[in-house]
Amino acid sequence: MNQEAKRETAPTSPSSPSSSTTSFDSGGSERDPRPPPSLSPPAPAMSTVLSPLIATQLNYLLAHSPLPLKVGQVWAGSKNGRYADRFTLLVPFCLDYIKWDVIYNAGYPSVPPDIVFPPEDDDFHPLIPVGDVKEEKEGEGEVHMRKSSLSDWNSKDSSRLLALVHELRDLYMRYQKKRIEELDDARLKFEISTILSREGIEVCMISSPDRPEEVKFAVPLLDIDLNKLVLACPWRHQQKIYLQVVFPVHRSYSSAPSAPRIKLVSSSELRSLFSVEDVKLPSWLDGMCMAEYLPNLEENLKTQVLEAVASVGARRRFIEALPSLFGRPLEADPVFCRRATVLVVSGVFTFLVHFSIPTQFPKQQPILTLQSSQHFNSQGTPILSPPINDYPWSPRWDLPEMVERIFDFLVDECLNFKKYCNDTMPQQQ
Amino acid sequence: MADDTPVEKISISGPTLASIIHRFTSSPGDVDGLLFGHVARLPPPDLHDDDPSSAASAASSSPLSATVTGFFCSGSPMGLYDALGRLDLPALRRAFATADHRPPGCCLLGWFSGRRRSPIRPSMREFAVSLSLSKSPILTLDERPSSPHPDLPPKPCIFLLLSSSPSPNHAVHTHEYRAFVFRSMAGGSGALEPRSLDVINVGPAFRGQYSSFSPQSAFPWMPCWPKGVEEGERERGSKKGESLREAERELRLLESSAEGFGLERLERLVGPGAAEYTSEMEDLYTKMLLKLEGLARLVEKSSTRVLEQVIALPLSLKCLVLFDYRYLYLEY
Repeated sequence: MNQEAKRETAPTSPSSPSSSTTSFDSGGSERDPRPPPSLSPPAPAMSTVLSPLIATQLNYLLAHSPLPLKVGQVWAGSKNGRYADRFTLLVPFCLDYIKWDVIYNAGYPSVPPDIVFPPEDDDFHPLIPVGDVKEEKEGEGEVHMRKSSLSDWNSKDSSRLLALVHELRDLYMRYQKKRIEELDDARLKFEISTILSREGIEVCMISSPDRPEEVKFAVPLLDIDLNKLVLACPWRHQQKIYLQVVFPVHRSYSSAPSAPRIKLVSSSELRSLFSVEDVKLPSWLDGMCMAEYLPNLEENLKTQVLEAVASVGARRRFIEALPSLFGRPLEADPVFCRRATVLVVSGVFTFLVHFSIPTQFPKQQPILTLQSSQHFNSQGTPILSPPINDYPWSPRWDLPEMVERIFDFLVDECLNFKKYCNDTMPQQQ
Repeated sequence: MADDTPVEKISISGPTLASIIHRFTSSPGDVDGLLFGHVARLPPPDLHDDDPSSAASAASSSPLSATVTGFFCSGSPMGLYDALGRLDLPALRRAFATADHRPPGCCLLGWFSGRRRSPIRPSMREFAVSLSLSKSPILTLDERPSSPHPDLPPKPCIFLLLSSSPSPNHAVHTHEYRAFVFRSMAGGSGALEPRSLDVINVGPAFRGQYSSFSPQSAFPWMPCWPKGVEEGERERGSKKGESLREAERELRLLESSAEGFGLERLERLVGPGAAEYTSEMEDLYTKMLLKLEGLARLVEKSSTRVLEQVIALPLSLKCLVLFDYRYLYLEY
């Protein structure tokens, strides 16, 4: 596991029983998630174009994997360097990415690839059958080998790399679990025995030379399919909210185990529907275990998610109410209804009003940003007002009233904005 | 395998390392192959004079030193194993057959892999191959068909990983190598433990070896004495039939190596007959050299005369003569 990356995602809160939330970038292309990322850059350097057979497999992997995989560096290992044949694959695991160097041979693209794992995982040997020698018979190892997608590699079958990566990730998951089970920590042993049966749970060790060892659990929360909650959902990958729990490893039984660091994590794509940052986590009581903590949290979270989904409807109706006073919006977000832009004319002054509608609408009011169509700064970009969210608002108003109040506010505000634009212009010149 | 006896030291001769690196850099892609060499015991760390049993046990478990002296490079990737790192035994046997001319006492020590511009850490397949190689009976059975001698140290499995990366403009090529020893562990697995690699013949530490060097050759001793001495020797040899028979045997061996190029023909080149032949040749050369010197003198004189005439001529003609003179010179 990449320790650098870990340090970024794991919060370094000073107090131990702390709860914080952050967002986990799933790496999926947020703006346009549907087409698979192309591997051939528009003006490729000679050495970064993958050999056709290899490129087909990698493209298939990226397009068809349910995991938000990413490709890092692509480079050539052959002498002439005509075709690239090795690349770094970033594999999502336990709310982080592990970097695997996939090594093909451009001279023999039909030869199955080899993988170099990061130095922290130097005792991860997926080709060696795992298991206790006493329990395992010779035959079982053979079965494991025969099942491997490497055993009858067919380079013309473009799905092979996908099968291999998924197989290795499963083995990696087992390897991490085994590492944690071998730790001499009573609490962790208990947590694993009670919680590891939960579907989709992932665990990993966080070990770095300058910090004490920790164990990270990534617990998927809520049984509901978030992708199905939204009409015309654009998400390619399955969205999930995870609870990340980081336990410090206690090797002695005497000291009382300190509370874990907990936070909610979701992909950045989910942020347009629901923000995990807004969730207040219940506090972790002394002597608590995850099995006790989770039901309460899940129930709480479920209500909030369903509220967020209901909020999409309220936002849609708000946008639908805009034309009565503002005219048809120039632009509106049809899926999550988070944004709308209208054109406003006051005398000769023409400007745009951007509505940024929060997930907690109507509890929170839309944030307005005005953009002049006639005033430009020295860089030639239109002058924007600072975000405005202190205008009169009540969530109890009905939608037409909300629109009317905003309209009334803008009638006054547009004069201020015009003055602001005129003031900004000469300064720039 | 070497479960309990650790390999502490891995050495490689400079030329072997250089030729592995050369083989790697000259190949279009990644390379792999086998490493051959020998294993010896390092002196035990401390010996007890009073207790012979402890000394014996110390000797049998004293650390090993492996020396790589040769290698076999398979031409294609994964020529010796499959995608899962399992050994291809027929291919390995063929590799043994091609590397059969290696000196006696030389055995399979392990293998190497060279891959360009990649991390210098063993990959998943390299680990699996090392494990298969350490488990494989070929390492021990092929070399020692009879019962293993108790004094002989167990064979280790060494893995040499090479990587090279050129700078973007190919001005600087960086070669890296790391040596590992495969150590079996309980549970059927093991670990590749990094070891430092001593390169023999490089650095001042190896100066002593040059003075203690004695060449070994499969080629027999060549009997070549001055005529008188040889006859005297033969007379004495007839008295000692044993030494004569020894000489006869060596002669036969020599003739088989010479492949038709008989000793008589060789004697004409190096024996007393050759001395006359050489002096004749030298005489011929001396005469030829004298003749050449005479010719050179002649040319020198004629060119001086031409130059004198050129000075006497009017300017317009000088060029012409100079031109001709150049031709004249060229004709020589």
